[in-house]
Amino acid sequence: MAKREFDVIGSTVTRKDAPKKVKGEHEFADDLQFPMMLHGRIKRSDIAHSRILSIDTSKAQALPGVKAVLIGSETPIKYGIVPQMPTEYAIAHEKVRFHGEPVAAVAAVDPETAERALDLIEVVYEPLPVYTTPEEAMAEGAVKIHEDNKFPGNIAYEADQDFGDVEKAFADSHYVLEKTFKTSYVNHAFMEPHCAVSKFDTNGELFIWSTTQVPHYLHRHLSKVLQMEMDRIHVKVTGVGGAFGGKGEVSNNELISALLARKAGRPVKVLYSRREVFLQHRGRHPIQMRVKVGVDKEGMITAIDYDGTMDGGSYGGWGLVILFYTAAMLHLPYDVKNVRFRARRIFTNKPTCGAMRGLGGVQPRFALESLLDQIAIDLGMNPYDLKKKNAIGLKHETVSGQVVRHCEFRKCLDQATELSGYREKHGKLPFGKGIGLAGGYYISGTAYTLYMAYKPHSSALIRVDTEGGVTVYCGATDIGQGSDTVLGMMAAEKFGLPFETIHVVSGDTSLAPFDLGSFASRVTVAAGSAVCKAADNIIDKLLPVAAVQLGVRAEQLEAKRGMIRSVFEPGKEIAFWDVVSKYIDAHGPLTATGDYTPPRRTGKFKGANIGHSPTYGFSAQVTEVDVDLETGEVRVLRVTEAGDCGQPINPVSVEGQVEGSIMMGLGQALYEEVKVGRDGRLMNPSLHDYKIPTMADLPELNTTFVESYDPDSPYGAKEAGEGPIQPVIPAIFNAVYDAIGVRFTEMPITPERVLRALDEKKRQEGGTC
Amino acid sequence: MHGQSFAYQRPGSLREFEALYASHGDNAKILAGGTDLLVLIKERLLAPRLLLDISDLPELKGIAYDPAAGLTIGAGVKVAEIERSALVKEHAPALAFAASNLGSNQVRWMATMAGNVCHASPAAETPPVLLAHGCELLIGSQAGERRLPIAEFFLAYRKTALKPGEYLKGFRLPPLAADAAVAYRLRGLRRAMEIDMINLGVYLRLEADGATAAEVRLAMGSVGPISYRAAATEEKLKGMTVDEAFLAAAAAGVAAEAAPIDDVRASADYRNRVVGVLARRGLTHCLEQIGSRRNKA
Ligand SMILES: Cc1cc2nc3c(=O)[nH]c(=O)nc-3n(C[C@H](O)[C@H](O)[C@H](O)COP(=O)(O)OP(=O)(O)OC[C@H]3O[C@@H](n4cnc5c(N)ncnc54)[C@H](O)[C@@H]3O)c2cc1C
Repeated sequence: MAKREFDVIGSTVTRKDAPKKVKGEHEFADDLQFPMMLHGRIKRSDIAHSRILSIDTSKAQALPGVKAVLIGSETPIKYGIVPQMPTEYAIAHEKVRFHGEPVAAVAAVDPETAERALDLIEVVYEPLPVYTTPEEAMAEGAVKIHEDNKFPGNIAYEADQDFGDVEKAFADSHYVLEKTFKTSYVNHAFMEPHCAVSKFDTNGELFIWSTTQVPHYLHRHLSKVLQMEMDRIHVKVTGVGGAFGGKGEVSNNELISALLARKAGRPVKVLYSRREVFLQHRGRHPIQMRVKVGVDKEGMITAIDYDGTMDGGSYGGWGLVILFYTAAMLHLPYDVKNVRFRARRIFTNKPTCGAMRGLGGVQPRFALESLLDQIAIDLGMNPYDLKKKNAIGLKHETVSGQVVRHCEFRKCLDQATELSGYREKHGKLPFGKGIGLAGGYYISGTAYTLYMAYKPHSSALIRVDTEGGVTVYCGATDIGQGSDTVLGMMAAEKFGLPFETIHVVSGDTSLAPFDLGSFASRVTVAAGSAVCKAADNIIDKLLPVAAVQLGVRAEQLEAKRGMIRSVFEPGKEIAFWDVVSKYIDAHGPLTATGDYTPPRRTGKFKGANIGHSPTYGFSAQVTEVDVDLETGEVRVLRVTEAGDCGQPINPVSVEGQVEGSIMMGLGQALYEEVKVGRDGRLMNPSLHDYKIPTMADLPELNTTFVESYDPDSPYGAKEAGEGPIQPVIPAIFNAVYDAIGVRFTEMPITPERVLRALDEKKRQEGGTC
Repeated sequence: MHGQSFAYQRPGSLREFEALYASHGDNAKILAGGTDLLVLIKERLLAPRLLLDISDLPELKGIAYDPAAGLTIGAGVKVAEIERSALVKEHAPALAFAASNLGSNQVRWMATMAGNVCHASPAAETPPVLLAHGCELLIGSQAGERRLPIAEFFLAYRKTALKPGEYLKGFRLPPLAADAAVAYRLRGLRRAMEIDMINLGVYLRLEADGATAAEVRLAMGSVGPISYRAAATEEKLKGMTVDEAFLAAAAAGVAAEAAPIDDVRASADYRNRVVGVLARRGLTHCLEQIGSRRNKA
């Protein structure tokens, strides 16, 4: 690969939000205050499944300071992020489906009054049986959680896909391994709770400030639920203190703040407590997966058979899409010719599962990387060799039709194993110490919108002005991942200007042109392409002006280091801003737009639209653990990651994504679990009792990139925010196997499970050791 | 969630505080760092009428060491100060270690050890080490002062021996003999910000022969309604030679005297099993400390 020379791309500029966050100056939704602003609070059910017989709000309404009370019958319009299958209401309507579901809301002059009012609301319930597991919900005779659900047994959706001839492939296989895996019920645990402030102006237009990943979908939902034209609604994204998918669909507090604001005629803020964040949930789906993998004599994968039952919780959310993602994720990053997929998503009486970093990938990846590890060991191969053999090459098309235009996964496997000494250490460390390898990949955006539409997925407008400087307007949403920085860096590189001088206006449905939102690791590629195109269009306007000034052909000019200059003759140059000034004098305002539409690929099977992406990111991780044989504690000592994210636009930002992914995966592998009582009540909805890893649990991290550049991407970049979490969990599990010879198939690996497994092992080995 | 409203007073001297506390009786609660108290109020588990803030009382500050009396720590001392104090590190390193394991840095700069002890949670970080040290509590009231061994302080789940109008004024840890050491061991799911699944303080003093246990204290947390000492095991270990059988007896003894329950943090089985591991590790650590001191001498 030719070395590319960049001034801004690949350098670690200081994010503009960083010093502001350090000083507490960055504005989050809860920082907003408006004159006459009220505080909304939500009354939540203390029963997990029931009909609502009556609600009496009269006492609450009579409490001084209460300005509006709202119940479900006032907002009977169903919505859902998948618009064809709406299942949710802003406030429970007629029925309650999980313990802690909103049943009423109050706006009052202060939070204390609002909370007092909640206690005065009386709800009469008619209890129904509570199902906290898919088995219970699917059982013969179970009551339907959603009465209008067309599937039996509380199945929210089911699907199957078949590629090749799986039965024949297994029959012809040299070795076949099947195991059942179970993933846990985990929450994103982002730092900033949901918060929204809604305000209607005198003309009846709605302004809403919210901490969301998806201003566009919020915009659509508000229009639907409030029955307002979209052009009368203005969505403004505030600072976002983490999201990871949990703010990737509309949250009840957003709709409730708007509905209360309309009813009260005053601005209303609705801020969640941590418990409410756990109730809004949308965390990772627990999936029980029976997975079977076959290989030939050489260790080449012959077939994969997957059967998954997803615990969806009470509502639809992103569930349908995630179901199909688990299907798509079976096909990469290894070459597989025969695949069978059977899966179903089940409604249960729990907070709804949804999108969480690496959605649809993390669970099947856990199963597959564990099985491949075990198969290699059973065949007497080093797991690295088996994975390397099966890894796809630079370009690939899966049997399901997913086209990979650029992949350096093999380099990832090589680099991670070389840097960590995996090949020498695996299988040779003392009992209790282990090393594990896993690979992974993720999409960099999707091929389709959730509703039928042909418009570009991202668009950008750039204005270059002698007074205002360069401003990039793009609907992309910076949720802390640093997309404003990345888009600003791309524009800076295009114009040959310092990054610090570029302004980015984003996350605003009125000010910035359309973008789908921050999910599916799409922003760098999609919004980045739109910004690059818009910048190219600006340059196309400037070069002819400079050409005349310099007496050089426009196509021989480039914008670099503040100048527009000849690529051939040093010294033949004119200051960028002089050219801008002359352009504006002669032609008026200098603006240009750019947009991006991903390739539309599909196939002739159910769910064929899902899984396609313009390009994919890859990674491999080697993890070293130390297992305390007496207490069962698993300590992750070191993680070596080699990532193929194309060209890292801002390397420190990418490292941040990788390291955050490792910590998030580590938590899920070892500690985290939302615990649910038999009555559907959450047992640990606080960061005190729900254990995310702390800095003290941080392993030594060696985060590296492989040489990579996707020539069809903006500045060669691919995703880096969701791919790196894919290998984390199986790498830990594989390392634990290497340490103590126990193949865990269920998360999290708690100390108790380790001790029990060691006991069991001892028993099986006849009391020796 | 918001609790019921309450009045707040910050007395300027100990004497003023004692008078106020005596006159308000059960309606008043002492506020130190508030890291336990305010949580209870916000969760509406407590609704005191008056909070008396003692966190700035100069009479309750300070850490001092006297070769005869040992280490004294005022009730107003922050956990973070104990964690960092050179005197504590020298004379009670296990206590500094326990302090460093309480909550987060932010919590430690608010919290006091007195609050930790008076809250009397069975999972609390500092009581096992204090029990192991044979700590004496200084208890104050308008009527005067009394002293109480900490082993007599915890009466039941979150119930202490403080009488109405009494408060905890300070701690006294007797000086450690040259052939004695204290250790602290704990287990949480993660390595910080944990309410322990189990914790244990150990005291070991050897006879002059360096091979016989003269005195052993084993204080356990999170294995019953209070932090308490495994008295029968302590008695049994006294006079034993400190070898593998000694360690095994200690491990088996604490496991037998522990009476844990299953809860969200761990099962009773796990606790029973690991309390022995912690006892063994704590005693081993004590032996190492004593050994290295002997070698130096
Ligand atoms: C996030 C977080 C993490 C925590 N982690 C831990 C942990 O890891 N380990 C642990 O053990 N604890 C932990 N705690 C609990 C708490 O921080 C400690 O128990 C702390 O030591 C309490 O001290 P305080 O000064 O804040 O007490 P306060 O909350 O002010 O008081 C606690 C109780 O003691 C009484 N009291 C206080 N001082 C006196 C006195 N001098 N005389 C008589 N009564 C008094 C109060 O009236 C009250 O009933 C944690 C708390 C939080 C919020």
